[in-house]
Amino acid sequence: MIDKETKYDRQLRLWASTGQANLENSHICLINASATGSEILKNLVLPGIGEFTIIDDKVVSPQDLSGNFFLKRENLGQDIATSITSNLSELNTDVKGHAINQSIKHLITKVESLFWDQFNVVIVSDYSPELDVVKDLLWDKRIPLLIVNSVGFYGSLNLIANEVTVIETHDPSRLYDLRIDCPWPELQEHADSIDLNSLSDQDHAHVPYIIIYIKVLQAWKQEHNNLPPQNYGEKKLFRLLIESYSRNIKIEANFTEASNSIHRALQVTQIPNSISKLFENSNIKDENLSLTTPIFWIYIKALKNFVHLNNNQLPLPGNLPDMASDTAGYIKLQNIYRAKALKDQELFTHEVQKILDSIGRSHDDVNTESIASFCKNSQLLYVSQGSKELYGTSLLQELLHSEQASENYNALGVYFSILTYNAYIEKFNSKPSIQDLETFSDLFFQKFSIDKAEVLPESILNTFKEVLSHNTQNYHNLNSLMGGIVSQEVLKLATSQYTPLDNLFVFDGIRSFSEKWKI
Amino acid sequence: MLAMSRDFSSITSILNNIGPFNEVPDEYSPQETINALSSSKILVIGAGGLGCEILKNLALTGFQDIHVIDMDTIDVSNLNRQFLFRAKDVGHSKAQVAAEFIQERIENNHLKITPFFGRIQDKPVEYYKQFDVVICGLDSVEARRWINATLVSLVDNELNNLIPLIDGGTEGFRGQSRVILPKVTSCYECTLDMVTPKTTYPVCTIANTPRLPEHCIEWSSVMEWPRNFGSQKFDADNPEHVEWMYQLSLKRAQEYNIEGVTRLLTLGVVKNIIPAIASTNAIIAASCCNEAFKLVTNCNPILDNYMMYSGDDSIFTYTYAHVNKKNCPVCGNMAKNVTAERWWTLEYFIDELSSKLEIQMKRPSLSSSSAYLYLRNPPNLEEKTRPNLYKKLSTLIDDGNEIVVTDPNLPISLRLVVNFSGPEHEPL
Ligand SMILES: [Zn+2]
Repeated sequence: MIDKETKYDRQLRLWASTGQANLENSHICLINASATGSEILKNLVLPGIGEFTIIDDKVVSPQDLSGNFFLKRENLGQDIATSITSNLSELNTDVKGHAINQSIKHLITKVESLFWDQFNVVIVSDYSPELDVVKDLLWDKRIPLLIVNSVGFYGSLNLIANEVTVIETHDPSRLYDLRIDCPWPELQEHADSIDLNSLSDQDHAHVPYIIIYIKVLQAWKQEHNNLPPQNYGEKKLFRLLIESYSRNIKIEANFTEASNSIHRALQVTQIPNSISKLFENSNIKDENLSLTTPIFWIYIKALKNFVHLNNNQLPLPGNLPDMASDTAGYIKLQNIYRAKALKDQELFTHEVQKILDSIGRSHDDVNTESIASFCKNSQLLYVSQGSKELYGTSLLQELLHSEQASENYNALGVYFSILTYNAYIEKFNSKPSIQDLETFSDLFFQKFSIDKAEVLPESILNTFKEVLSHNTQNYHNLNSLMGGIVSQEVLKLATSQYTPLDNLFVFDGIRSFSEKWKI
Repeated sequence: MLAMSRDFSSITSILNNIGPFNEVPDEYSPQETINALSSSKILVIGAGGLGCEILKNLALTGFQDIHVIDMDTIDVSNLNRQFLFRAKDVGHSKAQVAAEFIQERIENNHLKITPFFGRIQDKPVEYYKQFDVVICGLDSVEARRWINATLVSLVDNELNNLIPLIDGGTEGFRGQSRVILPKVTSCYECTLDMVTPKTTYPVCTIANTPRLPEHCIEWSSVMEWPRNFGSQKFDADNPEHVEWMYQLSLKRAQEYNIEGVTRLLTLGVVKNIIPAIASTNAIIAASCCNEAFKLVTNCNPILDNYMMYSGDDSIFTYTYAHVNKKNCPVCGNMAKNVTAERWWTLEYFIDELSSKLEIQMKRPSLSSSSAYLYLRNPPNLEEKTRPNLYKKLSTLIDDGNEIVVTDPNLPISLRLVVNFSGPEHEPL
């Protein structure tokens, strides 16, 4: 028996045990046992997704075998969903795989709508009949749907989700919330207790720059109508002021650091616009709060109340960057930040509980870890409202009149070629090839209700030709690449960490280039 | 039905039809392309996270003569992404197990995968000449520099013996893939300054003023391990060694009231662990193989020449042509200018040089046009040149002189022009 911590070591460093637990409690559904779909599932079975289900009624054909590593020769003629499920299950005994050897068309009429509630994310790979029905159903149930296509060298991905909220975004900018411009009483008291002039040379060279900043900024403000440095010139003067506090800037590493990181001293403590906007969200209006309100929005409501009680400041995250200091001085500072963070967390928890009480929910609906995590990340929360549509008028406008498109290439053309490709299969029940260019173009005009008087730009015609010449859905390199991308999105959605796509992505394997749009 | 073997129907339309972006439509012949694909010899370096994916992709897109090199054996922590390996394979050669697995799964008599369990440096330069393309899926900077320099050295001025090198790398949700045409595009060495350096901590912090859990672990690993165990090397795969390191770090952290030393962090710091997931390996490996496929078939243009990918904040790619460095020690023909203070000893100069991001040599030897300055090997020359280490560099060579730096681990000779500045004596 292999212990999970060792087996999953390399990924636990990305999403920790909380993310892993979420992953292990997730159930993913794949509609269409395609090569891309198999690749997606491989990348999810390996890190230990809880369960997966494959829905497909086909039997394995030589074409399926040709581009799918998770089919064996002996599977030819057998149920494809069962075959892939069994070959994927070998990869990880922690994962449960299920096969439903029925067509989605049949299944959707047969199962209760309750059936879909077991899934955390549903994936449709390549053309599927009844896509609109599936889309409507999942939209109403608020289950995220990923639609992935791979045709020749091209790939596309739609994320269809009513709303995506992320607390642990792992924001790469690594800003620290240090409150240099508005120290709370305990921090101010601590800064005041250190008298730079009376320190020995050794201690002077070990004062953490947070203390230096608090002192220098306050000195600066006294001279400048209580305002921090306003422009580039003043910032330069501020830097010189910091250096003037040093006894010898060449040997005092703490002052050198202070001089090099003044953006930290000048960071303004305020609520980011992205967060204050959430306070206006209709989800948190009193009349809209209910037993089914997602915990995320209860937290937002509590956050709004919290900042009213807390000088219009967010909860303090409490973490510090490393900085030149002796151990005791750094630990002392760290404890002051942590104590304040804990105090904020308590106040925040109290606000959460008041809301829970008001709507008759149990305090057990939230736990300390999730509150702590929310408070730590309250500056970096991510919220996005999605769309149920695969395209809209503005996207069509951009396609036909894009200024970015060059004479012979238009990235959005790739996406509309794929949509038309699927529409062709829907209509004619077979894949279009280059001989079908005219029918294909006609279908494009018809499907997107474009006036036939509109002249098709060369750039769009080129992507049509590319898709029709290289009309395979099983070019493995693209299957595997899109499979990797989709699985990253599932991992983000399942762990509730990192920021997912919003909401259309296209990859061009000819130019090794990608682009995104929001529908 | 059962008698049929795995065919290439998944790529026939790509091979048979000339698309609108094909750059050589007049010369393109489907039959020749099919021949090129089945006869080309391709070398895969690394059978780890990227390597497993690369082998699978090549085998499913028509390549039939695939060679794979890897010096590693399979570890438990590989199983979360290296999908050709099972728990029963732990301890066996990655290259051999991977090759066998692919052969067995693909079941095509024409597919030949030749594994080599060893170091790339063990093969002579001649060995590398037989390949049409080399794909690299490694996490080692040194091995990539070695293969890059080797392939660049094969190319003559008429661009004969040009073997394209396709390189992929990943970290967490991010990665990059690139196509190197030796002596045509920029090479791996040209971009050495883009490699993320290993985090290091100042010795005085570790010894005297630890603040972070990492400082305590570094103290145990850098200072206490050698003190307690002498020349015995720390083995990160030995649970007893790791436990010792963890307990000692924990003790030090407690002495200083530092929180956060865990087994996971200890391992991360001492092994310099890079987070890795199957998804990112799949993306980067597929991109590399897509380029190899286009390169060999000519069906569509290849990447020129660098694609960065990141999936942690939405999905983002950045594709651009990285420009070669004229003073690249591998593919450039100009010497690089460096400035040295007049008071620097040779030893100080070498330390400075080794730590420079774009140079990164672990065991450099230096010579000027007229004399050896310091050589690591052979021992008699090492002994003879050792006293130079303590002399001032400005007494050994003149301002503006050229010196050559080599490292036994790399087939590279770096040409540097040294310009002196600053005072004769170390400022106080
Ligand atoms: Zn170069």
